[in-house]
Amino acid sequence: MAPVRAILGALWTATRRSRKSLLAFSGNNLSHAGFTLLFFHDPGAFILVLVIIGLVVFLPMSGDPLRQVPPERLAIWPLASSERRLLRILSPWLSPVIWMLAALAVWKKLTLGLWAVLAGLFAVGFVIPSIPVGACIHAWRRVPQFPGQLDQLIRKNVREILSTLDFYGGLVVVVPALIFRAKGLLPAQAYFPLTIVVMLTISTYAQCLFGLDGEGGLTRYRLLPLPGWQILAAKDAAFLLITLALTLPLSPIGGLAAALAALAVGHRASITEQRAQVRWRFHSGVTLGDSLLQIVPMIMAAAGAEYAGPLLLAPCLAACAWSTWWFGRVLERKPA
Amino acid sequence: MISCRDLTRRFGDFTAVDRLTLEVGKGAICSFLGPNGAGKSTTVKMLTGLLTPSSGEAIVCSHNVATETVAVKRKIGVLPENLGLFDDLTVEEHLLLTGQVYGLPAGAARARIEQLLQVLNLMEGRDRFASACSHGMRKKTAFAMALLPNPEVLILDEPFEAIDPVTSRIMHELLVTAAARGITVFLTSHILSMVERIATQIVIIRAGRMVWNSFAPDLPRSLEELYFELAESPVTQELEWLRSEPS
Repeated sequence: MAPVRAILGALWTATRRSRKSLLAFSGNNLSHAGFTLLFFHDPGAFILVLVIIGLVVFLPMSGDPLRQVPPERLAIWPLASSERRLLRILSPWLSPVIWMLAALAVWKKLTLGLWAVLAGLFAVGFVIPSIPVGACIHAWRRVPQFPGQLDQLIRKNVREILSTLDFYGGLVVVVPALIFRAKGLLPAQAYFPLTIVVMLTISTYAQCLFGLDGEGGLTRYRLLPLPGWQILAAKDAAFLLITLALTLPLSPIGGLAAALAALAVGHRASITEQRAQVRWRFHSGVTLGDSLLQIVPMIMAAAGAEYAGPLLLAPCLAACAWSTWWFGRVLERKPA
Repeated sequence: MISCRDLTRRFGDFTAVDRLTLEVGKGAICSFLGPNGAGKSTTVKMLTGLLTPSSGEAIVCSHNVATETVAVKRKIGVLPENLGLFDDLTVEEHLLLTGQVYGLPAGAARARIEQLLQVLNLMEGRDRFASACSHGMRKKTAFAMALLPNPEVLILDEPFEAIDPVTSRIMHELLVTAAARGITVFLTSHILSMVERIATQIVIIRAGRMVWNSFAPDLPRSLEELYFELAESPVTQELEWLRSEPS
């Protein structure tokens, strides 16, 4: 029992230390837009959904406290199987999220739906992260080549985007839309709103462009003899390509305008607030303010380009180009 | 090729590197030694433009590192402490990236990449993503990236650590050959036996201050003795409980 107590003590210390970053988590563009819409539509339901969505977003961030111990270290510790089982049962209770869930279960009687939510949360926070994903981490080996010296950087950035859930969230919207459109069942008026939903799903990436590069990647960026704007341009190109691919069956002009606006606004947060991201999760934004600052011009740009004509892409492109150049300089001067 | 004058880096009240003044000539292999936390990696970061000095200046290949950072980066090859690899690129793609960014003609880059993969025994793992490589393979990839543009100066942070003996020997020979052709090598290491074999200049740093700087043949005694005397001496204390019965 003493080893279990010692491990739980160490985990508690680690959990306490990470609580600051946990509480700083701010959701992403999709969740913020969802909250806002729901708040205006049904304020009563807003509170419960806020809690549930908050938990969905929180749990992957906090995850299983036991995962803070490297698996190799855990394996070599001389623990009996009963002690390991005990550790497995007790360690989740070090996470404040589990206590919030328990409170929710007591506060709202456990209905079948809530059980499903709990099961989903458990799967997201505890089961899925424990599945070895080495084989599928690089499911996207074959990424097309691009002309120019930024070729490999763009390919890498595309792979990064494809290794987060944002892209697949967008696909969940696009694939059915494509099928309905092919069958002639999707009214033309639906193209633009669906494009906005896709952009809300994928645009948080533009706030955390360097989130998946890791410490090594950031060092390499600083060692490459490239001006900062080119490094950002490689990030932008990858995001624009993904945007184009996802919005092509819907409203590509609106999608591109939204993407350019999201990048123009997102460069600042990407460089000044660099926040690490986790693969096979949704991107986590920087702050609610950054999200709102991104969502509003994004929707305005998309609506402008969609309804006033593609010429409106020009100012979006100019804004994005200026932002790329300016924050490229900031990137060059940023200390390691 | 490398010239530092009163190079200093402070982090708050802590001075990591204190008025380092140093000259490393063309074709030299300078080993920069010191205990953990002595300021070696901070110095490497300042020489490569990763960190701005608090005061003093560093000139590499006739360019001031603080003000002409991109010009310096074009002329140096670096093996950084954390290797600087992207998880989403394969070994070969890292080398292709380097060739493209340094403006090597595609044919020349391709030929050099093939040779480097061959020499560093990376042929089998060339299509493996960096995140799936062993530490040794990752280090060899980062080393190959440093060599590929044929730089004027190589700055290597602990190149021989965590490397198998064969690769270590290959890297040693590559560095000696590079230095003979006029490339300046500046490396940090804790493997004194390797340093003794390869270095033409020895610099020892302790608590941010340079405590020794000479050409290798001018060392008054063995490097290990000198290091223990100047940098840190091993604490010899018997651990009584080690000999007792296992609990």
